[in-house]
Amino acid sequence: MSFLGRALAILRKDLQAEWRTKERLSPMVFFVLLVLLVFNFSFELGGAALREIGPGVLWSAYVFASLLGLGRSFADERENDALDALLLAPGDRGAVYLGKMLGNLIFLLAIELLSLPFFILFFNLSPGFFLVPLLGIFLLGSACLASVGTLFAAMSNNMRLRELLLPLLLLPMILPALISCIEATALILANGRFEKLLPHLQMLGVYAVVFTVLSLMLFEYAIEE
Amino acid sequence: MRSTSFSYLLFATMLIALGAIFLWVPTEQEMGIIQRIFYFHVPSAICAFIAFFLVFVGSVQYLRTREDKWDRLALCAAELGVVFGLIVLISGPLWAKPVWGVYWRWEPRLTSMLITFTIYAAYLMVRDYGAHSTQAPRLGAVFGILAFVNVPLVYYSVDLWAADQQLHPPRNVELAPAMLYTKWICYAAFFLLLLRLLAQRMELARIETAVARLRQKLSDEV
Repeated sequence: MSFLGRALAILRKDLQAEWRTKERLSPMVFFVLLVLLVFNFSFELGGAALREIGPGVLWSAYVFASLLGLGRSFADERENDALDALLLAPGDRGAVYLGKMLGNLIFLLAIELLSLPFFILFFNLSPGFFLVPLLGIFLLGSACLASVGTLFAAMSNNMRLRELLLPLLLLPMILPALISCIEATALILANGRFEKLLPHLQMLGVYAVVFTVLSLMLFEYAIEE
Repeated sequence: MRSTSFSYLLFATMLIALGAIFLWVPTEQEMGIIQRIFYFHVPSAICAFIAFFLVFVGSVQYLRTREDKWDRLALCAAELGVVFGLIVLISGPLWAKPVWGVYWRWEPRLTSMLITFTIYAAYLMVRDYGAHSTQAPRLGAVFGILAFVNVPLVYYSVDLWAADQQLHPPRNVELAPAMLYTKWICYAAFFLLLLRLLAQRMELARIETAVARLRQKLSDEV
C-alpha cells in the first residue's frame, strides 16, 4: 500500500467511526453555540461593534472548540489500545499523521460550516457573496489548526496532564495563524480589497505548509513509545 | 580552573559595562536618564534569541544522536531564554512608562516578544509538568524545533497585524560613538553571562541526572 493509500485508509476509518457515532461533531457544534452565547453577554455584540470584534469572537469560538476536538483524535486510539496496532503497520509513520490530520481538517471544517449559520443569525449578517471568500479562510485556518494541532494531540496523548497541556502547547503556537484568520475575516466582512487580503492568505498558506511538512518529519518522534 | 578564569573575565567585562553605562556614556537628550535601560534591554533581547536558537540546535541534535548532553543544552538554553525574555519584558515597560506615558502598548515588537516568550514558557511546562521523565527529552525536542520555526512567522504576522502603530525604535537606530561603544561592551558582558550561566546550569543538570540514576540503582538493589 502506498503512503497516500495508508493515510487515506486511516482517514476513512476515522470518518466512518465519526459518522456512526457523531460523538465529536454534535457536542462541538453545540460548544461553539455556547461560546457565541457567552461572548454575546460579555461584549454586547449587536450593532457597530460587530465588525470590530465579531471576527475575533468567531475564531476564538473555533479555536476553543478545536482544542476539545483535537484532544479526542488520539484519545479513542489510546482508550482501546488501538494506537499500538496503528503503529505496527509497516512503512512510514507519517502516513498515520497525514490520515489523522486530514480527518481533523475535515472535522474542523464541518464544525465551522455547521455553526456559521448561528453566527450569521445572532449577529444579523445578511448572507451574501462574502461567504465564498470566507470559506477559503476557513479552509486555510483549519489547515493551520489541524497541522500543529494533530501533532500536539499525538504528543499530549502520551503526557501526564494531557487535557491541560494541549491548550498550553497549541494556543501560543497557533497565534500567528489566528491573527491572520481574524484579520482576513474582518477584511471580508468589511468588503476589503483583495490586495489587502493577499498577505494574510499567504501567511496562512505558508504556516499550513511549513507545519504540515515539519509535523510529517517529526511525528515519528512524537509518537514513539 | 578554566571556568574560574572565565568567571574573572565575565566579572571584569561586567564591571567595565557598568562603569560605561553609569559613569561614562553621556545621558540621552530627549529621554534623559531612563534611556540607560537600553543597555540592559537590547542585550537581553539578543541573548534571549541566541538561547532560543540553542534550544533549536540542541533539539535537532538530540533527535539525531539521542545523546543526553544535547537535551541538557536544549532544556537549559530554554530556561535562560525565558529568563532573558523576562528581563526584556520587565525592562521594556519600565522604559516605556516615562517615554510613552504607558507601560504597555499592543504594538508589533512588544507583542511578538510576548508571544515568543509564551511559546518557550510552554516548552518549560512540557518539560516540567507534562512528560514522564523518559519521554520529556524527546517531546521537548519536537516542540523545541517547531517553536523556533514559528518565531519568524510570529514576527511576520504581528507586523501585518499592526504595522501602522509603531512607537518602538527600529533595529538600526543611529547612536553617538560613546553610546555605540557602550552598547558593544554590554553585548559582550551579556553574551559572556549567558555562556557562563549556561555552562553552570548544564553542569547542574548533568549532576541531577547522575544523582537520579544512582538513587534508582540503590532502590533497585534494596
